[in-house]
Amino acid sequence: MNDLLRLLKLFGGYKLWMLGGAFLALLTILSNFGLLALSGWFLASAALAGLGGYATLNLYNFFLPAAGVRAFATVRVISRWLERIVTHEATFRLLAQLRIWFYSRLEPLAPAGLQGYRSGDILSRLVADIDTLNNFYLRVFTPFLVAGVATLLMSGFFAFFAWRLAIALFLFLSITGLALPLLAERLGARSGAEITNLQSEYRAQIVDGMQGMGELLTYNAGPEILRRTGALNDVLLKHQSKMSQISGFGTAGMSFMGNLAIWVILLLAIPLIHGGALGPSDLPLFALGVMGSFEAIAALPLAFQFLGQTQQAARRIFSVADTPLPFPDAKGPAPEIASPDLHLRDLHLRYPGAAKDALCGVNLDIPAGSRVAVLGATGAGKSSLANLLLRFYDYQSGSAELGGHALRDFPADNLREYFAVVSQRSYLFHTTIRDNLLVAKGDAEEDALWAALATAQLDEFVRSQPQGLDTIVGEGGVKLSGGQGRRVAIARAILKNTPWLILDEPTEGLDPITEREFLQDLRQIMQGRTVLYITHRLVGLEQMDQVHIMDNGRIVESGTYHELLQKGGQLSHFATFHQAVIPISG
Amino acid sequence: MAKAARVDQRLMQEGRRTRGTLYFGIGLGLAAGLLIILQAFILAHVINDVSFHGWSLVAVMPMLWALLALFVVRAALSWAGELVAFRASARIKTYLREQLLTHLLRLGPVAIAGERSADIASTMIEGVESLEPYFSRYLPQMALVSLIPLAILIAVFPEDWISGLILLIAGPLVPFFMVLVGYKAEAINQRQWKKMLLMSAHFLDVVQGLTTLKIFGRAKDEIEIVARISDDYRRTTMAGLRVAFLTSAVLEFFASLSIALVAVSLGARLLQVHASVTFYTAFFVLLLAPEFFNPLRGLSTHYHARMSAIAAAKRIFEILDMPLPEHSLDPVTYTPVREVGIAIRDLHFSYEEGRSALDGVNADFPAGKVTALVGASGAGKSTLANALLGFVHPDSGTILVNGQVPLQAIEPELWWKQLAWVPQNPRIFHGSIAENIRIARPDADMSAIREAARNAHALDFIEALPQGFDSMVGDLGQGLSGGQIQRIALTRAFLKNPPLFILDEATANLDMENEALVLDAMQKLIQGRTAIVIAHRLATAMRADQVMVMDAGKVVESGTHQDLLAAGGFYARLVAAYQGEIHE
Repeated sequence: MNDLLRLLKLFGGYKLWMLGGAFLALLTILSNFGLLALSGWFLASAALAGLGGYATLNLYNFFLPAAGVRAFATVRVISRWLERIVTHEATFRLLAQLRIWFYSRLEPLAPAGLQGYRSGDILSRLVADIDTLNNFYLRVFTPFLVAGVATLLMSGFFAFFAWRLAIALFLFLSITGLALPLLAERLGARSGAEITNLQSEYRAQIVDGMQGMGELLTYNAGPEILRRTGALNDVLLKHQSKMSQISGFGTAGMSFMGNLAIWVILLLAIPLIHGGALGPSDLPLFALGVMGSFEAIAALPLAFQFLGQTQQAARRIFSVADTPLPFPDAKGPAPEIASPDLHLRDLHLRYPGAAKDALCGVNLDIPAGSRVAVLGATGAGKSSLANLLLRFYDYQSGSAELGGHALRDFPADNLREYFAVVSQRSYLFHTTIRDNLLVAKGDAEEDALWAALATAQLDEFVRSQPQGLDTIVGEGGVKLSGGQGRRVAIARAILKNTPWLILDEPTEGLDPITEREFLQDLRQIMQGRTVLYITHRLVGLEQMDQVHIMDNGRIVESGTYHELLQKGGQLSHFATFHQAVIPISG
Repeated sequence: MAKAARVDQRLMQEGRRTRGTLYFGIGLGLAAGLLIILQAFILAHVINDVSFHGWSLVAVMPMLWALLALFVVRAALSWAGELVAFRASARIKTYLREQLLTHLLRLGPVAIAGERSADIASTMIEGVESLEPYFSRYLPQMALVSLIPLAILIAVFPEDWISGLILLIAGPLVPFFMVLVGYKAEAINQRQWKKMLLMSAHFLDVVQGLTTLKIFGRAKDEIEIVARISDDYRRTTMAGLRVAFLTSAVLEFFASLSIALVAVSLGARLLQVHASVTFYTAFFVLLLAPEFFNPLRGLSTHYHARMSAIAAAKRIFEILDMPLPEHSLDPVTYTPVREVGIAIRDLHFSYEEGRSALDGVNADFPAGKVTALVGASGAGKSTLANALLGFVHPDSGTILVNGQVPLQAIEPELWWKQLAWVPQNPRIFHGSIAENIRIARPDADMSAIREAARNAHALDFIEALPQGFDSMVGDLGQGLSGGQIQRIALTRAFLKNPPLFILDEATANLDMENEALVLDAMQKLIQGRTAIVIAHRLATAMRADQVMVMDAGKVVESGTHQDLLAAGGFYARLVAAYQGEIHE
C-alpha cells in the first residue's frame, strides 16, 4: 500500500486532471442511476395521476420529470465522452511524468548501480513495469474512488426514503464490489501464476524447437518435442479451465448479487409502501435505482486484478529508483590539464559485492600519444581498466592520475570528455544512422558526419542505402552486420574527437575476416591519439608501442610485442597456438 | 474485408470440430436471454400489484419466490455458458497447436529459416489464445445479437406497439452507425495504442543505451528528449482519440435517447384519464428497453475479439499453408549400418529460380575419412551439408549412401539415426545440462554422459558449476560461454557416436583457451570416422584426410592439404593470403 501512496504523491502535479477525470466518471454513473430511478418514479406517478382523474392530472407537472429524464440521458452521454478524453489525457501526462522521473533516477546510477539489472530482460521488464503503473490511474485509482463515492451517494439518496433501504443497498454494493472480486482473485491466484509460468515454458520450448530444429530432428527428438508441448498444453488448459470457472463464477455472481439486491430491497420496501410510510410510486424507483447503482462497481473486478499488478510493478520500480548512488561525484570545477598522461600506482578496484579485487595493485603508465595494449583472458581485469577511466566504478586504494590530477577530482561527465570508447557493448539506438552519430556530437554538420563515416570506412555502405543517413539501424542495430555496427561506433568516436581512444575488445563477436579488416581500418583513427587497446586475441598487437599482459587483476608481463614473443612467456605460448588457427574461409 | 471474410470462413470450419458444444453454448445464452423477459414480466407484476392494487408482501411473496428462483437459474446458465464456451475453444486450441508444430517440424530448419522464432512462439501461444474469444464470445454473440432483441420485440409489441416501433427503428441504427463510424473509430483507437507501445520501445531503447549515452556525456540531455517525445505523442494521439471518442458517444447517444424516448412517451400516455397503457405495461417495457440494446452494444467489444482473432488466424493459416517438400522417390527399406560412405553425382539445387546454390556437385566422402569443406561464404558448403542432412531436397542429381541406396529414398528418421550434426551455433535447450546432453541418447546413464563430457573437454567446467550436470541452462537458465556451448554440442555427438558426422566449425572468435579445447575435442571425435567438416580454420583443414574446395556451387579442388598447397590453386592462394598478412 505504501508503494501506491508514493505513486500517488509522484502524480501530485496532476491532481486536477486526475480528480477531474474521476469526477466525470462519477457523473456518468450517477446520471445513469438518476435516469433509471427517475424513469421508474415518473411512470408510476404519471400512472397514478392518470388514475386520479382530471383533478390530479391538472396538478401533475409532466414537464419537470420528463425534462429530467432527457437531461440525465444527455448528461450521461456527454460526461462519458468527456470522461474518456480527460482520463486518457491524464494517463498520457502521468506516463510522461513517470518516465521522466524514472529516467532521472536511473541516469546517475548507470552503470555501476545497475549492475544487477544489466541484462536486456530485466531492463525491458522495468520499462514494462512503467507501462503497468500507467494503468494505476485509469484502472485502479478511478474505479475505486468512483465506486466508493458513488456507493455513498446512492445509498445516501435511498436514506431519504428509509434507512433500512440505504443500509441494504450499501451492504450489497460493498460486498459485491469488494468481497466477490477478492474471493475470485484469491481463488484464481495460483492458477493465474501457474498459467504465466506455463506459457513462458511453452514459449521456451517453441523457441528451442525452432532455433534448434536441425539438431532436434537429427537427434530424432521431434516426437519428444511434440509430446512435451502437448503435455504442457494440457496442463495449461487445465489451469485455464479452472480460471474460466472462477471468472464465470465472478461474472454470474456479480449479476446474481445485483438481482438479489433488487429482491431484498423489494422485500424491505413492500411493507413500507403497503403500510403507507412511502408512496406507491417509490417502489419502481427503488427497483430501477438498484439496477442502475450496480454500474458503479462493475469495473472493480478488473481493478482488483490491476491492483495486484501495479503493486508489484511499483515495488520493483521503487526498489531500483531507491538504489543508493554507488559513489559521490566530484563537485566542479574540473581540473585543467596540459597533457593527458595516465599513471596508475598500486591501484585496487573491487566491484560492489565481489569477493576479490578486479584490479589488484596495478601499476601502469600511458604517456599521452602512446599506444598500449592490455592482453589477457576473460576475467583478467582488462575491462575494469576502462571502467576505472570512465569513472563508472570507484577505486578503493592506490593512485590514479590523469594529467597529474587524481581521477576522483574530476566530475565524471568532465572526465569522460577525454575518452572515446569502441566496444562490443557500444549501443546502437533504434533510430537512423544520423541520430546514432549525433549522439557523439549533437551539433555536427552533415559534412562532418560524412567525413567521420569515410574514416570509419562506412560511407560507401551508407551511400548505397536508399535512405542514406536516414537509414534505420533496427533494434540494437540488427539491420547492420556486426562489422558495420562497430564502424558506426568508430564514426562516433571520430566525431567526439577526444585525446584518448579506448578500444575495449573492439572485434569481439566479429568473424576473423571482418576482424582483420576492421583492425586495418582502425590504424588511421589511432593517429595522434592515446590508445588503450584491450583484447584477449593476438591480432593487432604489432601496431602497439607497449603490450601488457594481465592475469588475475595484475600486470604480469610488459614490453613490445616482439620483445614479449622472444621472452617466451605467456604471449609466445598464445602465439604458437594462434598460428594454427588462422581462418581459411572468407 | 473480402480477405477477412475468407479467414472467417476457415475459422468457422475449424469451429465445426466442436459444433455440438458451440450450439449448446448458444442454446444456454438464448435461454438466459428469454428468462430476462420472464423476469421483467414477474417484476413488473410485483410492483404493479403492490403500488396500484395495494397487495401486501404476503400476497406477492409467491411471485417473489419465483423471481428468486429465476435469478438462481440465470446465474447457473451464465456460469454453465462460460464453461461450455471454454470447452469448445479448448479443443480447437489444442488441435491447432499440434497441427502447427507438426507442420513446422515437417518443414524442417531450412524452410523455416526466414521466420523469427519469437514470432512463431507468440503465434502458437498468444495467437492461438486469441481465437478463444472468437469461439467462446464472438460466434455465440453473433447468434444471440439477432435472437434476443427479436424475442424482446415479440414480447413488447403486443403490450405496446408504439414503444415496439421506437425500438424497432432505433435498434438497427446502432449496428448501422457502428459499421459506418464505430469500427473505423475503434481502428483509430487501436492504432493509437499500438503507437503507444512504440513509445515504450523508444524508452526501452534509451534505457538500454544509457551507458553509451553517458560515455558521450549526453545522458542528461535525454531527459528532455524523452519529455518532448512523450508530449508530442500525447498531443497527436489525443487529437485522434477525441474523434474516436466522439463517434462512440454518438452510438451511446442513440441507445440512451431511445430509452428516454420510450420512457417519456409512456409517461405522456399514462397521464391521461382512461390511459391507453397501464403502468404494468409501461414498467414491463421500460425494464426490457435497456436489455434490447445490450447485445447490440456488446457487439462492438466482440468485434475486437473478431479482429484480433482474424489477424492471428491469418498468421496461423499462413504457417499451415507453407508447402511441404514432395518426396521424389519411393521409400526403400534401409537398415542402419556401422560404416557410411557417401558419393554425390551432379547435384543441383536452387533456393529460388535462377539462383543456384549447388551447380553440379560431384564429391566422394569415403567411409572412415575426414573431409574438410573449404570455400568462401556463399560457395555452397552449407547447402551441401543441408542436402546431406535431408533438410533441402535436390532438384536433380543423386546422393548415394554406401554406393547403392539413394538418400532421398531413405526415411529421414532412419537416416538421422546414422549421423550427428553439430552446427556453427549449437543450440542449448531450456533444461539441465544433463538433459541437454541426453537428447543425443535418451537412455544414456550418468556414467556414459560423464564419459562423453570428458572426451569433449566439457567435464571440468560442468562439474565446476554449483549444480554440476543438474545446472539449468538455456533461455531461462544461466548463460554459458561460446566455447562451453560448443563443447556441450560435441558431448552430444560423442554420446550418440554414430557412423557419420557432419560438423560446421564455429566462425566467431572463441577466447584463446576455449578455442584450443574445442579444436582438440573435435579432432578426437572425428578421427578415423566418416566426417564432413565445414572448416573455417587452417588447423582443421591440415588435419583432415582430404580437403574439398567449393566455389560457386561446385567442387573446384580436392586432395590433401599438402597436395593442394603444392598444386598452387585456389586453396594455396587462400592460405597464402592469410599467412602473409599475419607475418606482415
